[in-house]
Parts: sequence; structure tokens; C-alpha cells
Amino acid sequence: MSFGRPPNISTFNPTPPEKGSFPLDHEGECKQFVKEYLECLKKNQGNNGNCRHLSKAYLKCRMDKGLMTPEEMKNLGFQDVEIKKD
Amino acid sequence: MRSKPLNLYQQRIDKNKSFLMYTTAVLIFGIGFTYASVPLYRMFCQTTGFSGTPITNSSKFSPERLVPAKESRRIRVHFNADTSLALDWSFIPQQRDVRVLPGETALAFYTAKNNSDQDIIGLATYNVTPHKAGQYFNKIQCFCFEEQKLQAGEAVDMPVFFFIDPEFAEDPLMRDVDTITLSYTFFKAKYDNNGTLIPVPTS
Repeated sequence: MSFGRPPNISTFNPTPPEKGSFPLDHEGECKQFVKEYLECLKKNQGNNGNCRHLSKAYLKCRMDKGLMTPEEMKNLGFQDVEIKKD
Repeated sequence: MRSKPLNLYQQRIDKNKSFLMYTTAVLIFGIGFTYASVPLYRMFCQTTGFSGTPITNSSKFSPERLVPAKESRRIRVHFNADTSLALDWSFIPQQRDVRVLPGETALAFYTAKNNSDQDIIGLATYNVTPHKAGQYFNKIQCFCFEEQKLQAGEAVDMPVFFFIDPEFAEDPLMRDVDTITLSYTFFKAKYDNNGTLIPVPTS
């Protein structure tokens, strides 16, 4: 696939994700957290900084329901985020 | 009858012997190098990512690097979604963009709905633009590269958990990059008679 192209064509190489693929949430068990997070993003014009506690809550929901291998929150970059912000 | 004196003859024998030794040594080295080149090449590819070998270097994801760089500006990550023509799914991003700091982990969602009346397997790949920013886009977990099966009529949320490498803030070439676009494309796949997953071309 990389043979025969003109030289100096910079190509993008997609890399697999570090922790693999998320199992699909077929039953929508964590859908409430998705809704909350998306509403927060809308309210904050997409500013991730204010909504990180909801991302953390969503991932925690996934871990609790067996839709994600349990991982320490600090390994996911949430060491300084508290879940209950309100 | 000897045509040359004895010591010259002896020298010739010695020269031939050493020549033979050298040749044998070269031959052995050549054979050994040929055998060793397979693992050596593999090691070279894995370290340099030559010819598209994925670099699975998990030191990029250590907790110390997952700290938001508070002094940096927020980078807008825009989301794009495409499906191949053969795939009868609606696939859209749930948010237009997310603004993140380098080092700040973020979550984004796509929704996929199987509009057909059959169970379909999809396989996603992604692209990052601008091209030079692609090296800083680190995915912790997503839904790409592995098959995702949706039953007929099923809709499901597909999350992407990623962060922009903190080194992005240090790179002078990235100073003009304010928006990074992440595009996912879903292709249709199915299992053939041998049980291998193959893509279905757009017919």
C-alpha cells in the first residue's frame, strides 16, 4: 500500500487506543451520565474543564456495570477531580 | 620439479590458508547476519515505527503526563463522522466540539444507529487533522479498530476517551494550531466462510 506513491507524501498512521475498545453499552445503562455530560458541555460552550467531574462519573458507571476494566482514576487523568461538584 | 623455491611455495600455501580463513569467516558472518536480521528488523520497526508499525509505547499514558497544562490555551477538538456507502447506519457525533487543555483527559460521544433490518458489524478507523498535530492525539480508549456489532434497529452511544499530549504545548510548530479535527469513518465488515473478518466494499 505504501509502494508506488510519489515521495514526500506525509501519511497519517492511525494507532490503536491504549486500553483498547470500549464494550458497547447495548442496554444504555450509563445513558443518564451521557446526557448529563452532554448538557454540561452545551452549557459551557464545549469547555471540558467544567465538565470533567461528569466524565469521571460516566467512566465510574461503566466500571461499576462491567463495561470497562476497572482502572484507578489517576491513571485516567482524574486525580484532581471530585465527582460531586454541585 | 618445483618451479618455485620452497619458502615462496610455503608463503603461497599460507596466503591461501589465510584467504580461506577470511572467506569462511565472511561466509559464517553472512549466514549468521541473515538469521539475525529477522529479530533485529522487528526490533528496529517497533522502536522507530518504520513502515507503519504501531508504536505501542505506554509511557505516554503514565499518570504524571495526564495533568492539564493550566497555562496553555484551550484547543478546540472538532468531531466528524462518516460511514461507507455500504453501511446502512446513522453515525453522528453527539457534540460538535470539545475544548481541552493539553494533558487534560476528555470524553466525547458518537451515536450509531443500525437503520437496516439485519445485524451488521461495523469497523471504524479515524483520522486527525492537521496532519502535524496527529502525533499529539492520544487515545486512551475508543471504539475503533475492533468490530462493533449492532443489531437491527439498535442505537448505541460510542465514547472516545482521549487527551492531547502535554508536549503539544512545548512544540513551536503547533503554535498556530487551535483546532484539531477528529474524523471517524465506519465501514461495513462481515465474516467470510473461513471465519475471518473482511471489509465489505462499497458496491
